[in-house]
Amino acid sequence: MNAVASVLVLAGAALAVLAGVGLLRFSTPYARFHAAGKASPVAFLVTATGAAFEFGLSGAGTLAVASAAMVLTLPVGIHLLFRAVHRTSPGEHLLVDDLIAAEHRDRGSSDGG
Amino acid sequence: MIPAIAIGGFLLAGLFAGVRLLRGPTLADRVVALDVTLISMMGGVATYAADRGDDSYLSLLVVIAIVGFTATVAASRFIEHEAEKP
Repeated sequence: MNAVASVLVLAGAALAVLAGVGLLRFSTPYARFHAAGKASPVAFLVTATGAAFEFGLSGAGTLAVASAAMVLTLPVGIHLLFRAVHRTSPGEHLLVDDLIAAEHRDRGSSDGG
Repeated sequence: MIPAIAIGGFLLAGLFAGVRLLRGPTLADRVVALDVTLISMMGGVATYAADRGDDSYLSLLVVIAIVGFTATVAASRFIEHEAEKP
């Protein structure tokens, strides 16, 4: 590997380790999703950028497609998990929870229909 | 040497996620741990492919990304449906 690719791949691996540490150490599910949903896609993006230096145009294109697929889909999946946690155990892990109040208000006003 | 260190880092991240997978405590935690394991695997595959200079591994990355998303969505729908049951 050339120098630029080596540095980027090592940085991506370090970010992946940080995402793993965050997933392991944080105390609430929301904090863990935050570590997993932000650090790990960035880790893959940096690694893919480094790996793209080792390939020609077609390999770099495939890496770009994989990166785009991950960046477009992972936030959606993590958001759905956030919503699942909030619906199954509402108000358990948060000090202030405006979403519960808003959902209560909406449900109260639409009960007539 | 450098690819081996990088792949070791991705393995370590996957190991941390595996510990979270075993510990839980919520089902969503386990799902997100599997997600992080998959992303670490993608990083490892990309590093290995770059080390070998073999771009036939790269289409695997696209497949893993899309399968991982489908699994996460299905699992989150399952968690919500289970909670709604009496």
